[in-house]
Amino acid sequence: MIIAASVAVLVTGGVYLLLQRSMVRVIFGLALLSHAANLILLLAGVSAWRGEPLPDRVDPAVATDPLPHAFVLTAIVIAFAVTVLMLGMAVIGHNDDTKRMPATGEERAT
Amino acid sequence: MTLVWTLGVCLLAVVASFPLTRALGRHAGWPLAAVYLAGVAAFWPAATRVLDGEVVTWSVPWVPELGLEVSLRADGLGLVFTMIALVIGAVVLAYSTAYLSPGRNLSFYLFMAFFTLAMVGLVLADDLILLFLCWELTSLASFLLIARSGHAGEAASMRTLLVTFLGGLTLLAAVVVMVAATGTTGLQEALAHPVWDEQPALTTGVALLVLLSAFTKSAQFPFHVWLPDAMAAATPVSAYLHAAAVVKAGIFLLMRFSPAFHDVPVWNVTLITVGLLTCALGGWFALQKTDLKKLMAYSTVSQLGLIVAAIGVGTEYALAAAVLHVIAHALFKSGLFMMVGVVDHATGTRDVRRLPELRSAMPLMFWTTVLGAASMAGVPPMLGFVSKEKVFTGLLETPGPAWTGWVVLVAAAAASVLTFAYCAKIVLHGFVDGRGQERWPEDQPLHATPPALGVFAALPILVGLPLALVVAVLDVPLDRAVAAALPHVEPETHLALWHGVNAELVASLLIIAVGVGVIVRRHRLLPALERDTFSRDGAGVIAALVAPVARAGMRLALLVRADSPTRHVAPVLVVLSAVLGGGSLGLLLTGRLADQHPGLDRWSDGVAFVVILLGAAGVAISQSRLAATVSLSAVGVGITVQIFALGGPDVGLTQLLVEALTILMIMLVLQKLPLRFGRSPRLGQRAALTLAVVTGLSAGLGAFALTGRRERSDIADYYLTQGPEITHGYNVVNTILVEFRALDTLGELTVLGMAGVAMVAILSTVRDRFLDPPAEHDPSHLPQPDIALREPGSAAHRAIHQAWGNAVPMQLLVRLTAPLLLVISLILFWRGHNSPGGGFIAALVGSTVVALVYLSSARDQAVGPARLPVLLIGGGVAVAILTGLWGLVAEGSFLAPISGDVGPLYLTSALLFDLGVYAAVLGLVMEAFNLLGATGGRERTRERADESVEGELTGPMDSARGETPAELADRDTALARAHAAGVPEGPDPQHKGRVGRRTTYLAHGTPPGNVADPEEDR
Repeated sequence: MIIAASVAVLVTGGVYLLLQRSMVRVIFGLALLSHAANLILLLAGVSAWRGEPLPDRVDPAVATDPLPHAFVLTAIVIAFAVTVLMLGMAVIGHNDDTKRMPATGEERAT
Repeated sequence: MTLVWTLGVCLLAVVASFPLTRALGRHAGWPLAAVYLAGVAAFWPAATRVLDGEVVTWSVPWVPELGLEVSLRADGLGLVFTMIALVIGAVVLAYSTAYLSPGRNLSFYLFMAFFTLAMVGLVLADDLILLFLCWELTSLASFLLIARSGHAGEAASMRTLLVTFLGGLTLLAAVVVMVAATGTTGLQEALAHPVWDEQPALTTGVALLVLLSAFTKSAQFPFHVWLPDAMAAATPVSAYLHAAAVVKAGIFLLMRFSPAFHDVPVWNVTLITVGLLTCALGGWFALQKTDLKKLMAYSTVSQLGLIVAAIGVGTEYALAAAVLHVIAHALFKSGLFMMVGVVDHATGTRDVRRLPELRSAMPLMFWTTVLGAASMAGVPPMLGFVSKEKVFTGLLETPGPAWTGWVVLVAAAAASVLTFAYCAKIVLHGFVDGRGQERWPEDQPLHATPPALGVFAALPILVGLPLALVVAVLDVPLDRAVAAALPHVEPETHLALWHGVNAELVASLLIIAVGVGVIVRRHRLLPALERDTFSRDGAGVIAALVAPVARAGMRLALLVRADSPTRHVAPVLVVLSAVLGGGSLGLLLTGRLADQHPGLDRWSDGVAFVVILLGAAGVAISQSRLAATVSLSAVGVGITVQIFALGGPDVGLTQLLVEALTILMIMLVLQKLPLRFGRSPRLGQRAALTLAVVTGLSAGLGAFALTGRRERSDIADYYLTQGPEITHGYNVVNTILVEFRALDTLGELTVLGMAGVAMVAILSTVRDRFLDPPAEHDPSHLPQPDIALREPGSAAHRAIHQAWGNAVPMQLLVRLTAPLLLVISLILFWRGHNSPGGGFIAALVGSTVVALVYLSSARDQAVGPARLPVLLIGGGVAVAILTGLWGLVAEGSFLAPISGDVGPLYLTSALLFDLGVYAAVLGLVMEAFNLLGATGGRERTRERADESVEGELTGPMDSARGETPAELADRDTALARAHAAGVPEGPDPQHKGRVGRRTTYLAHGTPPGNVADPEEDR
């Protein structure tokens, strides 16, 4: 189960970065975590069958489970959208410190 | 069907309020009033059948599995209340055309129409669930109507919401118990069910719940507090809500449930006591008020009390009296409310202590008010006299020993003395006495009353006069209404102005006599009463009740309220590792797991693992942002290899392309941030590392223990063997995405699009100078390095200081690669159904063209027209949804693919769906490049965000709440006007730093353009 080891590495790195001060590092951490989540999803399809799920070219008997692949494809794109959004947040005020609110000219509600 | 048409017309009014207010401004009230009258016309066939003694019903299945139906039913009660809601509504709308300040007034007309729709739905509902929904909608609509009237209405509307939603909860409880006890959601079946006779305890409980709901809505003691409070709303709103609609909803509810509960003792006792108490209290408070509108509000409370008491008696005669008084009250009270509006419009005040003598200035208005007040006071020959007489007669029938009837009658008569007194106060202090005459400035003329204002205020009152003389025409409608409230009797009402000499008449005469005494001594008596009995008003009581709850909530919130993400994330991670790691370890140690499937590992996994390990370590350790980014891309490559090794060409391609685009965007962001990450405290780092290792091990352990221990799933076999036959496509992953699980993809598409839209929305709430701060405030700013260069004009100088030379190779490359990439993108799109490719991958390849064009430009500039990205996102989602609707129409299932051979080609609507995916992805990437890439050369981030909504602008907009350029121009004009008028410049120190739509209002008292209530203009 080498992939499980990869998951462990990715989650370790992701969680470590998630607990940092810099928004950019948090984003990197989430990127690692989403990689890990995708690998776990793919593992759910049992990695013993690894043929491409194209029944006209690959024997369906050895083809991989296509459903996790569809899920992962969706997940990758969503993670991309979320990353982009967070990157937009990270540069407000050219300051990506997550422990201090960026100045926006508004007083904070008390 | 006529019932559906009636509701349809009401719905039309809601929809039509948008274009009508846009085209006509406040005069939209005219066509909307016509729509209301059309609603009456649509209802007319049903109304005639109801009057003939029939019952009109209509129903359609709603949730067949639960036996729910949307069922409507018009009976006598529905008829009376529908007519009140529509006719009074039409009059109020016509009145509003003159009352509201010029302008669009969309919220007023929209919420009024919405309210009417909810009210008509409520009174025609024949299903408990539908009834409850409409009940809540009326609460919501009245909240919105009150809340729209500016700052004064905010707190009042919240209190209204609190009280009326409390009633909503009790009604929900009542409905649930009723459905459970009777086994049906049909209103009539539930009310006629024998269970109400068999189980007295249950009946009592439900009756209490229902009457609590009605009390909150109809402002009965102690829930009456919201109604006077809600007077903050504009006068037409008060006239409609408090005379014809929302408070009558509570009355309606009581009558609607009378068939089941009219002989339940707790029902009779509570309704009569609370009703009379409210009647007396309301009258007393009304007498103390100097604000005519407040006075009216308490008088409404008082009148409703009388009606509630009559309903509580529960006999045929008393219910007929209650219905008649509802009609009479709707007429005179709506008219009187609007009269107060007329006085307010003419003088600018509603306080009797400041009003001049108005009788000679406004004789017509004066006499109309006299008639309305006479009706309310129960003076013959007004409709109010007939109805009050009838109520008194009804009260004599109070169940119990004979003396109870007399006690109730005396109490009601005593309360009515107060009614008479405050009616006298309205007329005499409002128009005759002129208590403010001395202080009234000599040179200040009264505002002329526009015809529409006076005519429509007078209309409901004047209608009541002839109606009293021919009151027998109401016999039949009343009979039908009573028959609906008491199904087992056959009522025979005979209304007449003159009933001969009896107890009620004596009571009326006594009331009038005492009242006249009050009138004579009014100069001493009434002003002496003008102080509050209690030191604390209803608003204060509610605030005192709510405050501890709010404090407790705040204390709870403190537990999780923190700016630092660590405090939110760490507990979740700890729990996750405990559950996942502990659980997996337990399963492994106890040996309860199936054996691993053989052949799970390949050597290629090891290669990927090494790349991932090195990359992840690099991201985590490096202090340089650039190095971390490069390491992240290495992880991405490792993942891509891993995915390809697992047999996923589509996923692998997607991963690779997404990775490339992500890295590019990170690079765009990095140029605005410091070169290195800041250091964190060492102690925190050690804790973070520990938590990270524990979570990582748990995740790995979980992945090892919980996967790879079964045979291939049936669903996989199904997709692989059946999929190609069903979809005619051999790329199973793609067909899952666009056909089998297209709804998932639609959701994903929406998330994608929303990310782009949200980015624009968030960035356009931050002002330019805070978004891209000037260099001296910018922590990431690096001064230009001081390099010894050759003189300007030399090649070396140009190479450093001018970008275009460096961009030339890239531009040449784009010329070659862009068309190539576009062709590849098209091919990938086309072949997606059968081979690796499809909308996502094709769009990502297309997006790389955007990236290349962006990167190859020598100067920072947006790719494509400014509004294109948002249009692409919106268009993409719209195309996908339309494809889904096409499937719904053609195949009966949302997103069902439609396919067929067109010539030699096999086409499917899934291709169209994929096109939507393509557009949305492309839109997001363009938006991201434009926003993140704005470096402050010619355009900065804020300007780009504004431009992606508004089109090309000359600079960033100076607003923080997404105003349009037109609104900003209006604000600037208002500011200039305020400046010209000598208002000191700069924001009010009290509201310093507040930004947004109402800023100028707070700062200078200049109201925003769409304030409707004239009070605020003065």
